[in-house]
Amino acid sequence: MWAKRRQPLQSKISSVNDASGLWLAASAMLMVTLLSSAAFLAPQSALLYLALTNVLLLVHGLLCRGNIGGILRYIVLQLGFTLLLYVVIHGGQQLHQGAWAVARLLLALLPGWWLTVVIKPQWIGEVLAKIMPVKWAFVVAASINLLPYMTSELRDIYQLQLLRGARIAPRQLLNPLNWYELAYCVIFPLFVQLLKLAQQTATAARSRHFGSHPQPTHWRDPRSHQ
Amino acid sequence: MTTANDKTGFQLQDALFIGFCATLLVALKSMLRLKLGLSGHSMLLMSFFYLICYGSVGRKGAITACGALAGAVATILGVGKGGPLIFLKFFVPALAMDMALILLGTLLILRWRLVVVALIGCLAWSAKGLLEDLLVGMSQQVALVRFGLKFLQGGLFSVVGALLVLPVLRRLKAHDLLHKETLIK
Repeated sequence: MWAKRRQPLQSKISSVNDASGLWLAASAMLMVTLLSSAAFLAPQSALLYLALTNVLLLVHGLLCRGNIGGILRYIVLQLGFTLLLYVVIHGGQQLHQGAWAVARLLLALLPGWWLTVVIKPQWIGEVLAKIMPVKWAFVVAASINLLPYMTSELRDIYQLQLLRGARIAPRQLLNPLNWYELAYCVIFPLFVQLLKLAQQTATAARSRHFGSHPQPTHWRDPRSHQ
Repeated sequence: MTTANDKTGFQLQDALFIGFCATLLVALKSMLRLKLGLSGHSMLLMSFFYLICYGSVGRKGAITACGALAGAVATILGVGKGGPLIFLKFFVPALAMDMALILLGTLLILRWRLVVVALIGCLAWSAKGLLEDLLVGMSQQVALVRFGLKFLQGGLFSVVGALLVLPVLRRLKAHDLLHKETLIK
């Protein structure tokens, strides 16, 4: 038995039972891998075609309301830093080489951005679950399902320690001397909770005969049968 | 079919702990991003969580498993820039750290072993960047300067992350939460 990890994302995304969604996700992941690899390996003459393909992905991603701001900020920073290094090391002569290199980086990143915008996370998870061994697919499913619980535990511990007067406020954490206090007051209790959670989840899975059947059963969303 | 008490693989409880650490690492990386504007801050979280996994589970391979799971979770959640590159970003340092553990054995005392392993993880992380820079056609000098700066910044954060591991492991051991034979005596 293993629970599908899409359950907490239910409110955002619809359930996927059809094979077409799975094939679509698998094809998209393969295409993105090829396009990203091509950005590094393709000759200069093929870059125009690659750029055109990426423009199509960009337009499609923007139509799907993807936010490209993060990628653009990263690329602008990389461009500035790389061109500065080229000016310092080579003078102003090879700036175009630096600009091309950053353009290739952009071409490597855009397909990944498109994938995360267009393909629902649950489909990507389904594809990975087909590749992974059953136990590790269960681990990924359980981890993502329990992520809201873990983050709320972390938030509670942090707030409680702040109230107790620990020097872990964002401004105080700019001082590396306070990082030990963060480890002592927040990270240590968090790991205690994680160890207990792992123990409880493993016990719960074993009590439901996890791993005792050659054909694993899948937890199904009750709403998907309605 | 893998059973919960598999003698060759990880026990289910350990696998779940590794999964939780990997997921939390990805979530923290996406939530905090530390806003420092410094390259290499992700190595703080990576070295800390990877080494905690190694220390708690007490087995070689735990770091690689954590790295692979973190890469898979980051791909699913679309953290960072997404796509296959984000998987490599988590997996490559983890693999290098595990290989370093195999090579180092018990040569150094635990504290320095963790620091060296974290630095090797950072080296692999920077080397991945160097390879990318060379593949996209940057000149060797520029790529090497970028590699050096990345390694220096990442190395600093890696060492801090590695130094935080031992106090946490000691306290977990003191509270009898690490039930198996672990690195902490």
